[in-house]
Amino acid sequence: MTDVSAAAVEKLVALFPDVLIGTGESCGQRYADVRRDRIVDLLTFLKSDAELQFEMLMDVTAVDYLNQGAPERFCVVYQLYSISKNGYFRVKAYVPEADPTIDSVSGLWKSAPWAEREVFDLYGIEFAGHPDLKRIMLPDYYTGHPLRKDYPLRGLGERDNFPKYAGGA
Amino acid sequence: MATQPWQHEGILTTSLREVVTWARRNSLWPMPFGTACCAIELMATLASKYDMARFGAEVIRFSPRQSDLMIVSGRISLKMMPVLSKIWEQMPEPKWCISQGACASCGGIFDTYAMIQGVDKFIPVNVYIPGCPPRPESIIDALIKIQEIVDSEGIRQRTA
Repeated sequence: MTDVSAAAVEKLVALFPDVLIGTGESCGQRYADVRRDRIVDLLTFLKSDAELQFEMLMDVTAVDYLNQGAPERFCVVYQLYSISKNGYFRVKAYVPEADPTIDSVSGLWKSAPWAEREVFDLYGIEFAGHPDLKRIMLPDYYTGHPLRKDYPLRGLGERDNFPKYAGGA
Repeated sequence: MATQPWQHEGILTTSLREVVTWARRNSLWPMPFGTACCAIELMATLASKYDMARFGAEVIRFSPRQSDLMIVSGRISLKMMPVLSKIWEQMPEPKWCISQGACASCGGIFDTYAMIQGVDKFIPVNVYIPGCPPRPESIIDALIKIQEIVDSEGIRQRTA
């Protein structure tokens, strides 16, 4: 049985050369590094192509490559799974620090909105076109984005400066 | 309570302070604010082996309106702190508070951006229990200390 992720790499190299930065393999799983510009087109292709059929978005997460020589500081990672072809694939879209924005894939997968809210909550990456982009775990009045590498462990004073309960049950 | 000749008729004399504190200290109704593993130890304390009912504190109330002993069992995040404050305010006076375990008392190992470093910054705590989590014996010890506090406070007005 041929690995569906090898076919995915071949097709991306052929069809998306303008946004593809590179491809590789890590932990037995192939991935593609891409620029953020055509992320919705690219993921729509991976989902709908008859030989790939990555119907399932397992997770959206992010990495902060602060001072690590990555193409851009942030990277939004899409974990895909093809139920039909039984294969995994990973798409890593790089997002610059100056403008941390990427198009939302909420229209493609129902699993995307909450995962994107988590990335927004903890990294401050905004998803354009998201139906309800707000914090999912930290309280709404929180100001920082704690999983950024330049965020101190003890916070920026949020744990002392939050709206106290003023009384009046 | 001195022995009097009319005691065989079912009458005894005492002071109001004595009888009220006796009733209060032997019928503490805890409000368990269990957020972590300390709550498991609290449950063990309530169960048959350690049996907190022996000290009159077995009636766990999940309504703050019906309880007079707040037991903060576990770590409190800054998202949870307003909830804890509100429940504390909803409890009627007189009320007491136990801060159970390292996390509730000082943040414990969770010295992070989202964790309250000791609930005593926001609500008054009467007794702190050390440990991570504390054993049931420590919780019973804290309860007895609360009883001593109740006894020594008397029936004076607690709030202005």
